[in-house]
Amino acid sequence: MDIVIMIVLMATAFCAWRGLSRRVVMTLWVLGLVAMLGLFKYHVTSPLHLNF
Amino acid sequence: MTTTTDIDATVAIESSDLSITWSRIAFWGIVLFVVGYCGVLLAAMGVQIFGNEKPCPLCMLQRYAMILATIPAMWIVADALRAKLTRARYASALGMSIVAATCGAFESTRQILLHIASPTDRGYGSAVIGLHLYTWALITFIVVILFCGVALMCSVSVIPVAPGPGALRTMARAVEIGFLVVIAINVVLIVLLEGLSWVLPDDPTRYKLINDLGFGLH
Repeated sequence: MDIVIMIVLMATAFCAWRGLSRRVVMTLWVLGLVAMLGLFKYHVTSPLHLNF
Repeated sequence: MTTTTDIDATVAIESSDLSITWSRIAFWGIVLFVVGYCGVLLAAMGVQIFGNEKPCPLCMLQRYAMILATIPAMWIVADALRAKLTRARYASALGMSIVAATCGAFESTRQILLHIASPTDRGYGSAVIGLHLYTWALITFIVVILFCGVALMCSVSVIPVAPGPGALRTMARAVEIGFLVVIAINVVLIVLLEGLSWVLPDDPTRYKLINDLGFGLH
């Protein structure tokens, strides 16, 4: 999954650099963000027992 | 004798000069943002390669957030260099950076709290100037949110304008390419680290691809 995310990020940066359409860049960026948040949810499995 | 029209014209020229100066400052501020995160990512990769400290999944997630926050900044620089940057696109890109930096701040806060929760935990990896890398990451995310917030506040009157042909323009282009190279190095490192697995192990100690291919090196 990490490899997929990095490839999406690389593609997003490349499209932004090449000046591709705003829709393409935004779609790839949102895809990367959602994938990152999904992976974060996957890794965060337990609540932390902290009292403030 | 100076007429009212002359004074108005002088004020207009001075105002225009001031506006161009601020537009240039805004442009180099965004370039500095890209350079700053390239430096942070290179430092993290330096610790990984030369310090032999493999990043944990949460560390990698923070790198993704940094890249996600920097892509819109690079987009602004690229559009400004093409003279295609509009106010709407500038504001939209800054918003994207704020969203990514906020997500990154959540990730680094989770990691900080994870190590605070266990009283015997000394933290993941070694400290740099007294703070662990994930704490530094949180600081950078907060700085980015503040920077983009201020840039958004000023975006009503100031949008970045790239310099004309010359060394400065070449430098800005080099920063763009440098950022792409930093991402490419990260792609190679994550392929080596994750190997043929779907996700990273909680506490990686070796480059898994080398093991997966049967070379058995660490």
